[in-house]
Order: sequence, then C-alpha cells, then structure tokens
Amino acid sequence: MKGFWRGLWLIASIELRQRVRGVAWYVLLGVFVVLLLIVTILLAITLNVTASAAGTSDAGAGIFSTIIYFVLLLGTLVAPAVSGNAINGDREAGTLATTQVTLVTTAQLVLGKFLAAWLTALAFLVVSIPFLIAAQVLGGVQGSTIGVSILVLAVELGVVAAVGVGLSGIVRRPLFSLVVTYLVVAALSVGTLIGFALGGVVVETRITTHSSYDDGTGTCITEDSTSMQPSFNRVWWILAANPYVVLADAVPTHYRGSDPDDLFGLIKLGVRSAQIPPETSQSYVDCPTAQVDSPQPTSRQIIDSTVPSWFVGLLLQLALAVAALLVATRLTRAPSRRLAEGSRIA
Amino acid sequence: MIEQNSDRGIRVSGLARSFGGVAAVRDVTFEAAPGRVTALVGPNGSGKTTLLLMLATLLAPDHGTIRIDGHDPMADPRPVRSLLGWMPDALGSWAALSVRMTLELTGRLYGIQADAASARAHELIELVDLVEFTERPTRVLSRGQKQRLSLARALVHDPSVLLLDEPASGLDPGARVALRELLRRLADEGRTILIASHILAELEEVADDAVFLQLGSTVGGERLTAAQSKPRNWRIRALDLTALTAALTSRGIEFAATADPAEALVALASEADAAALLARLVSAGVPVSAFAPSVGDLEQTFLDLNADGAR
Repeated sequence: MKGFWRGLWLIASIELRQRVRGVAWYVLLGVFVVLLLIVTILLAITLNVTASAAGTSDAGAGIFSTIIYFVLLLGTLVAPAVSGNAINGDREAGTLATTQVTLVTTAQLVLGKFLAAWLTALAFLVVSIPFLIAAQVLGGVQGSTIGVSILVLAVELGVVAAVGVGLSGIVRRPLFSLVVTYLVVAALSVGTLIGFALGGVVVETRITTHSSYDDGTGTCITEDSTSMQPSFNRVWWILAANPYVVLADAVPTHYRGSDPDDLFGLIKLGVRSAQIPPETSQSYVDCPTAQVDSPQPTSRQIIDSTVPSWFVGLLLQLALAVAALLVATRLTRAPSRRLAEGSRIA
Repeated sequence: MIEQNSDRGIRVSGLARSFGGVAAVRDVTFEAAPGRVTALVGPNGSGKTTLLLMLATLLAPDHGTIRIDGHDPMADPRPVRSLLGWMPDALGSWAALSVRMTLELTGRLYGIQADAASARAHELIELVDLVEFTERPTRVLSRGQKQRLSLARALVHDPSVLLLDEPASGLDPGARVALRELLRRLADEGRTILIASHILAELEEVADDAVFLQLGSTVGGERLTAAQSKPRNWRIRALDLTALTAALTSRGIEFAATADPAEALVALASEADAAALLARLVSAGVPVSAFAPSVGDLEQTFLDLNADGAR
C-alpha cells in the first residue's frame, strides 16, 4: 500500500515538474493576486459603508465569499488546461509508453496525474489565503462558513481535475479532450443556468390576478385577469449540479437581520426561492379601504422552508469524476488491445 | 549476477497483431538467446516496431505467445517489465526535466530507492557520455544525444533483456563505435539483446544472430538458406583497371562497372570462389588493392529476400 502511494506521488511530482514550470504560470498567479487585491479593496470600501449604516461591522463575510467564488471561477478555468491533455498529451509526446514499461501501475499513473492537476488548481486557493485572512480580520466570517466553503471549493476543483484527466485518457486527441473538458465545465456552470431559465419559461403556469383599484370616486373596483408566468419550481433541480450553487447551498447561512450576510447566502436564497411555486391566484390591491395583504416571507423563512440540494449535485459531480477516472484507467492499461496506442501502424 | 535457467531469453511463437483490418504482424516465430545480440532485420512496414511494442508489454497480440525469460507479458506484465529494458525508436522525453532527473525519476519508477537511483543516474550519464548535459533540460539535446539518453534510460534498472529500436540512428561515428562496444559487453554479461535496425552494416558488426521479417512474418529455414547461398557481389579494386578487366575477360568472368572508375563488381557463389579468384588475379600480376564483399551478409540477405518478395 505504501508502495502504491509512493508511485502515485512520483507520477504527480513528475507531472508538476514537467507541466507547471515556467514564468507564464507565475505570471498567471500574479495577475490573480492583483485581481483579488482590487476586489478585496473595493468590497471592503462598499460593504463597510453599508455595514456601518446598519450599525454592524461584518463586511468580512461578503469579502470572504466573493474571494472563494473568485478562486472557484479561476480554478475551474485553469484546471482543465493542466488536466485536459494529461494522458493523451504524454502519448503524443512519447512519454506515456516509456512510463508504462516501468513498474508503475495504470491506476498510479492516472491518479498521480489527477493529483497533480488538483494541486495545481488548489494553488489558487493557497495564494488567496492572505485575502481570506484579511476578510476574517474585517469580521463577521463564521467558522462554519470558512470550513465548509473551503472544503466544497476543494472538492469542486478536484471534480474538474478528475474530469479533465479522465477525458484525456478517453479521447485520443489532446486538443479535443481539452475542449470537451471545458465544455463539461461550461455545461455545469453556465449550461445548468440556461437550462434552468429556458425550462422555467417552457413550463409556464397560469396565474389569475385579482387587481383592486380605486376608480377615483372612492369605489373599489376589482378586476380579474390571467397571465402566464414561468414556473421555476418545476426546474429548480437543474441548478443543483451547478458548482456555484453547490457551494452556496452547502455553506450554512448566517443572517444579518433577516437577510443572508454573504454571497453564498444570497445565491442560496435565489435558488431556494425558485423552489416555491408561484401563487396561481395573486391579489394586487390599491384601495385604501381594502384589507392588508398577508406579509411576504422573510429570507430566513424561505431558506428554512425549502429543501437543500447541494449533496445531490455534489454526488452527481463526484460520480462523473470517478467514472471518468475509471474509464480512463481501463482504456490506458497496457498491454493494450485497443487500436495503435499512439504508435504508427508499422 | 544474472540467474541461469533454461527459460532465459526471448521466445516468440505464432505472434500476430492487426490494427483495424491491417495486419502489422502476421506470423512471427523466433528465439533470441541470452548472451547474444540478435538482429531484427526487415524493410519499413515489416512489423518490427509493432513486434517490439508487443515484446515491451505495451501492446497485446491477437494470437501467439511471448515468453521473456519464461514470463508471459499478457498474463503478468510486472515481472517482464522489471527485467526488460526498452529503447523506443523515437525518445519521448520529459522536456522540462534535466538529464539527471530523467534518469533518476525513471529509476524510481522502477522502484529503486532515491539514493540508489541518483547514483545509478550518474553512472549511466558517464556511460553514455552525457556528463556535460547532466543538469540541462532534455529539450536542448540533439537527436544523437537523445538516443544516448534513451539508451541510458533503458538500462536504468539493469535489465537482463534489452529491446532496442534503431539505437544507432542519429549517432555520430564515434558514438556508434561506443554503442557497439557497449552492446557487446552487455551481451557478454549474459543479457539477451534484440536490435531492430535499418543500418545493416552497423548490425553486421555486432549481431551474433539475425531474424528476418518480411510483411509481418519471420522468414525461416529454406528461404533464408536460399537467400544466403545466392551469389554475392565482390568489389575488386586495382591500381590498373585495364589489367584487371583484361584478366577477368580472359578467364570469361563477367563483371560490372561501379561508380568508382578503379573498381569492378564480380558475382561469386562462395567465399572459396572468391579466394580462388583473388589468388589467380594476384598470380597474373594484377595490382589488386582491395577485394571485399560489396555489401555485408545481412544486407545481402535482406536485399535478396526483398527481391524475392517483390517478384
């Protein structure tokens, strides 16, 4: 068992030395740090203003969640680049076969490459640590938020790295597997959003609106009209697989007054609100004489009354990642019965 | 050092492998004995590289069996890998890693401890004469230097069976001589060495045995004997070409001119015939300065087999 991890780590370290070297990589990290710096300062200014107006000082929560989202964005954009051609790129370069004739197993090879890609994506988290600490110092960041958000972020980056390495073992051409990896990331991040929006519009609900208004003489007139409204409550589950939603939904929400105090909470509120079916009968009252409408539910009530979905999305993504790695391992195994193995037909 | 048992060496029987309907290897049967250098000779597309990929545990055969020192690479590739050194026809190297790191990491991939792998890397760098490139990234190496690195890499774990695909390509003459001496020494230590190459003159000097491949099949027995017993061209060089041609004509021996104006080519059935002709020419006073087969045995057999195949 110890030998297994040693071989795996050896592959990962070769991968890290080989791929993640050179100035460009450090420039990218540098640009990322500068972006974080700008975002942190701007957020600190704006959030501090609103926070002091509200008589509290917890701008940190907003800054913290924004930084985590930034790392998720950059990480999911960079992880495919370092993982999406890990195996077939080596095959093209002729370094796969020379590794396969050694005593390293195919599982070690695939998992080692996955580990290297994951660590590379996590580098973005590491360089953001000073900013996360700064957010903590500004106050208002709860321990549970820190723990859960970093954990889920790390898992999400791992999923992208695994999908990339897996596809690089399944698809023959490096460029193609890279593109497919990016498409998977796009499908999860943006595609779920588009599916959600389009789905909601397609599945419409008929709404009856009772409008009461003063006709100008003090008489209250009530008119009924019907209209169609998108029913997102039928399609909200599509968003469950979205990495940003998984992250938001997983983090325990803390409130400032009745509203969530960070970006995670706001996104969670939005997604959870979509679970609530639109009322098929709505009243719009503009008469001074009419009775007062029932109060709107608060953010806390919405979140507490709806179901969490993050674990479903996370499980789906993990299943995808594991399947990609398993198939890649099976297809990369040598001696191979598959076609050609990167060799010309001699 | 290397254990003695009767299973040692490479044994291949009835091997076949095709790629989507194209048969690269049809029927290969041969043995390569330990302590000997066996040449694998065949034209482009005869299946040499596919055969080596199967021997190197990378490719599964469709039919047939392989035994490397008694082990079956299909059933259990691990023991085969631990005793097999493979030098591919074109070295893919980790471009960003130094020569030393490449060898060290390869050693560790074979399960060698870090210290031992480091020592072995230095030893091999000396052996293949890449000392000045020790800390340079492998991407700066020339083709010949890469070949030497590739050879060093194949030797990292002190294998008892060596598979070399075109090892001399890109090497300068000095490096070729060094390679030849190294291969001789490795064979004398009891290793089994199989070399695929086009440079037949090169193989001629180092190979003890030869396996001929044609259209994916080994050429065996009769055809080989027939090809080997065909008349060979001998190159005769004389200070006075007129005296030479006159002497040949007077004895009714046909000859052909070569690009060199001081030479004639004569087809002779055997070495005995060659010796007799030389004696007669010398006694007739022809100033012979060179008298040698125009091409080596391997090359001649190779050419004859190809001519057969083309017919």
